[in-house]
Amino acid sequence: MKTKKIVSLVLASMLAVSSFTACAGNKSSKIVDMTMFAAMAGKEKDENNEIKEIIAEKTGVRVKESWLTGQTAGEAIGSIIASGKLPDFIDGGDGCPTLYENHLLVAWDDYLEKYPNLKEMYTKEEWDQFRQSDGKIYWANVFGNHYKTDTTTGHNGEAFWIQARVLEAYGYPKIETLDQYFEILEKYSKEHPELPDGTPVIPYTCLCEDWKYYCIENAPMFLDGYPNDGCVIVNIDEGADKPKVVDYNTTDTAKKYFKKLNEEYAKGNIDPDFAVQTYDEYIAKLSTGRVLGLCDQYWDFAYSIMGPFSSPLKASDGSEFRLDQLGCDYVPLGLTIEAGMDQQWHSYGDELNNASGCAVTTSCKDPDLAFKFLSMLLDQEIHDLRFWGIKDVDYKVDDKGCYYRTEEMRENWKSDSYKAKHSCEYSYMPQWRGMSKDGKNYMMPDEQPAEFLAGLAEPLKKCFEAYGAGNYADMVGSKYVVAADALPWYPLWSWSNGLGTDTPGGVAWKKMGETKHKWLPAVVISKDFETDWAAYQDAYAGCKPDDFLKEAQAAVDSRLATAQSNGWKPA
Amino acid sequence: MAEEVELKVRHRKKIAAEDLIFYIINTIIMVLFAIVTLYPVLNTLAYSFNEGNDAVRGGIHLWPRAFSTRNYEEIIFERKSIMQGLWVTVGRTLLGTVTSLAANALLSFILSRKKFLFKSSLSLFWIITMYANGGMIPILILYRYLHLTSSFWVYIVPGLVSAFNVMVMRTYMQGIPDSLEEAAQLEGAGYMTVFVKIITPLCMPVYATIALFVAVGHWNSWFDAMLYNRFDPQYTTLQYELRKLLDSVSASTGGQQAGTSATASSAATITPVTVRAAATIFTMAPIIALYPFLQRYFVTGLTIGGVKE
Amino acid sequence: MENTTTASQKVKEIDVNKPKFTVKEFKRQWVLVVIGAVYVIYGIIFYYLPLVGWIMAFQNFVYADGIFKSKWVGFDKFRFLFSDDQFIMVIRNTFAMGVLNLVFSTVFAIGFAILLNEVRTKWFKKTIQTISYMPHFLSWIIVTAIVHDALTSTGIINELLLKFGIVEQAYPFLMKPGWFWPIVTFSHLWKETGWNAIIYLAAITSIDPCLYESAAIDGAGRFQKIRYVTIPGIRPTIMILLLMNMGNVLNAGFEIQYLLGNGILQDVARTIDIYILKWSLEGRIMDFSLGTAAGIFKTVVSMTFIVVSNYIAKKRGDERLF
Repeated sequence: MKTKKIVSLVLASMLAVSSFTACAGNKSSKIVDMTMFAAMAGKEKDENNEIKEIIAEKTGVRVKESWLTGQTAGEAIGSIIASGKLPDFIDGGDGCPTLYENHLLVAWDDYLEKYPNLKEMYTKEEWDQFRQSDGKIYWANVFGNHYKTDTTTGHNGEAFWIQARVLEAYGYPKIETLDQYFEILEKYSKEHPELPDGTPVIPYTCLCEDWKYYCIENAPMFLDGYPNDGCVIVNIDEGADKPKVVDYNTTDTAKKYFKKLNEEYAKGNIDPDFAVQTYDEYIAKLSTGRVLGLCDQYWDFAYSIMGPFSSPLKASDGSEFRLDQLGCDYVPLGLTIEAGMDQQWHSYGDELNNASGCAVTTSCKDPDLAFKFLSMLLDQEIHDLRFWGIKDVDYKVDDKGCYYRTEEMRENWKSDSYKAKHSCEYSYMPQWRGMSKDGKNYMMPDEQPAEFLAGLAEPLKKCFEAYGAGNYADMVGSKYVVAADALPWYPLWSWSNGLGTDTPGGVAWKKMGETKHKWLPAVVISKDFETDWAAYQDAYAGCKPDDFLKEAQAAVDSRLATAQSNGWKPA
Repeated sequence: MAEEVELKVRHRKKIAAEDLIFYIINTIIMVLFAIVTLYPVLNTLAYSFNEGNDAVRGGIHLWPRAFSTRNYEEIIFERKSIMQGLWVTVGRTLLGTVTSLAANALLSFILSRKKFLFKSSLSLFWIITMYANGGMIPILILYRYLHLTSSFWVYIVPGLVSAFNVMVMRTYMQGIPDSLEEAAQLEGAGYMTVFVKIITPLCMPVYATIALFVAVGHWNSWFDAMLYNRFDPQYTTLQYELRKLLDSVSASTGGQQAGTSATASSAATITPVTVRAAATIFTMAPIIALYPFLQRYFVTGLTIGGVKE
Repeated sequence: MENTTTASQKVKEIDVNKPKFTVKEFKRQWVLVVIGAVYVIYGIIFYYLPLVGWIMAFQNFVYADGIFKSKWVGFDKFRFLFSDDQFIMVIRNTFAMGVLNLVFSTVFAIGFAILLNEVRTKWFKKTIQTISYMPHFLSWIIVTAIVHDALTSTGIINELLLKFGIVEQAYPFLMKPGWFWPIVTFSHLWKETGWNAIIYLAAITSIDPCLYESAAIDGAGRFQKIRYVTIPGIRPTIMILLLMNMGNVLNAGFEIQYLLGNGILQDVARTIDIYILKWSLEGRIMDFSLGTAAGIFKTVVSMTFIVVSNYIAKKRGDERLF
């Protein structure tokens, strides 16, 4: 009896195996199926995604995208190469150079001439930045690229954020320095210690987890008025053609900033768990609306708290309230170490990250079709399908030809499951931001001014108005510098992100990071700041930051030289 | 005589009293232990039935605050690939457990034969495999040459023998008295007959244990599906699909690396915490349901006293 | 007590009967030899062939060049590892957590199995056992989230400590390096005790009930039965698992330390696996060579542990691996 059972089990499972190997490939013949892998986290689309099918009908290509799961980009790219099975399209993230070094990518050069849509993405100088050691282009960054005009409404970057209600309570004062910022946070938290549902407020918190410790780490760079080069300050006091790399970790500003945090921590104005909280705990905290202020980049927290902020909650007196109506939404402040300085928390213009991007692999059977497809994705009609959706289903057109969405459509596009079965952004393939080719609309719905305003809660609108700001970027109030034009090396993080441990500078960079990871929270909670700061600076010096700075200077100089050879001149 | 009886009775009474105290204390310990270990499971269950946006706020313990079945709908109904993954997982779990159990048992059998000439060296040969590992890249290249990548068999063939399981089974088999084997051999039985007819029936508890280990391993595995069958959706596994879903949910806030102007993306309506919880419960349930069938072997035990020395 | 032949006595008998190699014996057991040979072939293909990859540890491995053409760097990778104070520190951490985990999980799993075995009510026994192994199926992300949450300044632990006046201010457990190893060990116990006990429960079933009966006739009490029957009965299993797990002390893990650790704790929280990830797989360079070198180091240490402890077990006449 037993053996019989086992045999039937085996048979049943064999049957299961054979039945699913049999059913594959019943799709319409004129459409070519391709695959894409992006070494980032992302969401897979359902099979038979509606807009994907429409785009497939129009372009003749259907791409199945897959994403990073439980591996680092490096491991994933490594294992894909070793397994010998590459997708047709790939965005290798940090692994892009590895793919190039292994001759696995198809050069864009010939196809750029053939497909003007693609060529149009960048100027000649910009394309040159993508050239690899053999002089050819193998990938193109697809993000933050504005068609004609910069129309940014948001501030995706870093800032000291503060809840709109705090500013409102004191008549929208001008906040320029850390002292003013913490003063108002402390005052408000004393006067309004609880939310309507009885949750106690936290004046300020700061994430220190893993690589997101930039929330505590890089503020000194901004506080000194410099843009987000990410790894160093590039001082141009002697002119933009004589840039000098400066370490922002050892400046007086850095010391002042951390001393300020230390004092505020001692006063109880900083979340006692700031140094140990995980990202989930951090988001949970923010979602309750109890955190009045924080320093972070917008994308890292804002999207996650939108949902909780707009759902109704029960107050302790039984009434209902919503956090966004209460004014808990965060507005960005462009603080500086002294009042009255220029600052560049917001960077205008495009940030070109030449370290990674969308590529076609040598495994692709028809590279010409692949590039043709990428090019067609930039046709306005397809581009609208990708980001706006289907007319009358996902957006409406008013009599002036302007696109808009109804509340229901907006809600739909907030739903992950709706997007999984309906929308198809091909989000790691070439795309535009900015004004549409029709001159009326915008490439992305969130840039359409009417759509942007419709998405804001009342207290936020009032706050923007009070400061005379039209949007988030205005609110930050950075000096208008198109960094990419004025500073040819900008952003330098596209260099430091790609640093390996094969050079002394790379090793130093890694060790500096680990030292800061350990010491920055430690100096904030220290009972004896001066001693611990000195110990931190000693430990930091032990990482040989000069090795790193030397390489950073060389990177700046070489990018400058490239720009100058292309005719760049300081403004 | 009478004295002796009296002594025994008194002794027995003493034991009964001791027993009672022991039972009470033991029961208390067991109940406490159960409460402590049940908490994370109930907590996960509570999260899995909570509405996503609400759960982000934290503070859910044993009962959902805003009840919702949305998380389960998300993982069960809205992805076809999850059903495909479920089939593959069921297939590999059944086939993998049966084949692997047989392979492990046979190796354990020969290693537990006291007269086997290569007992020691073959044991060492397998022990080494537990600690020496060539690493991901060489293994991938090897499987590629063996045509195991882009195939279902990569789930079955490489993991057939596990030294750990073999050692556990071998130890159990060594505990079985030799007299049984010798008696059978006197009657002309070969090694295979001894294995199938004598050893196997006595080893059901350890077989059940190892079957459980192997089955749970198959049921939970996802890394192999990703590594070897990344671009072959027909061989995806349940856990890989769930894992992809979870990673994507955590990523739905968008954004690349620090400083990049990231792709804007929408607010997550489903949160990682609740979907993760639902996915966990969803995969735990079948094993918990099947467990009692295996449990009887190693909790109640077998009455094999009769065949012992 | 004579009936309770201990396992060690049995093993000693085995040693006495060690098979001698003779042609006649070889012929008699040809079936075993053939089966063994099949397993050797299988093992060579799937376990030993990939070890060719160890060559990578002595190279600057680049895919395009492959294992045979990459540039040779001799012992550079090992030199890099052992000249870094950090690496010495992560070995200490890994080893400490590995040993703590080994000792406590073994003791707790055995203790739980024995106590559970003493439960006489069947349904109660089954229920407790089912509940006990459930946390095994929760991922570390879930378990560490609960542990982490309980230990923050507003978590349940601090709430209790404050309530009973044991501390005046919330105690920052997760900022105190001294607490990290105990927390990790506890988390392991919490998640895995019930699961680890399954093997011991199965081993207990193999104990001959007659032994308990004769022990009872000899007047043994409950604790004596446990001591003289149950524990000797599962002793071979305990020994085998202990020996095998000795080799795993350097595999103390990755996820749990990664998830529970933070910047302040990095000097005690970082394990070898985390170190390797940080140094070889982040950023542009994928230095598989470094990871391979660390893997070789771990294998050498593991095998040394195993061989030494196996030798000791042999000397003491205990159950052993080979």
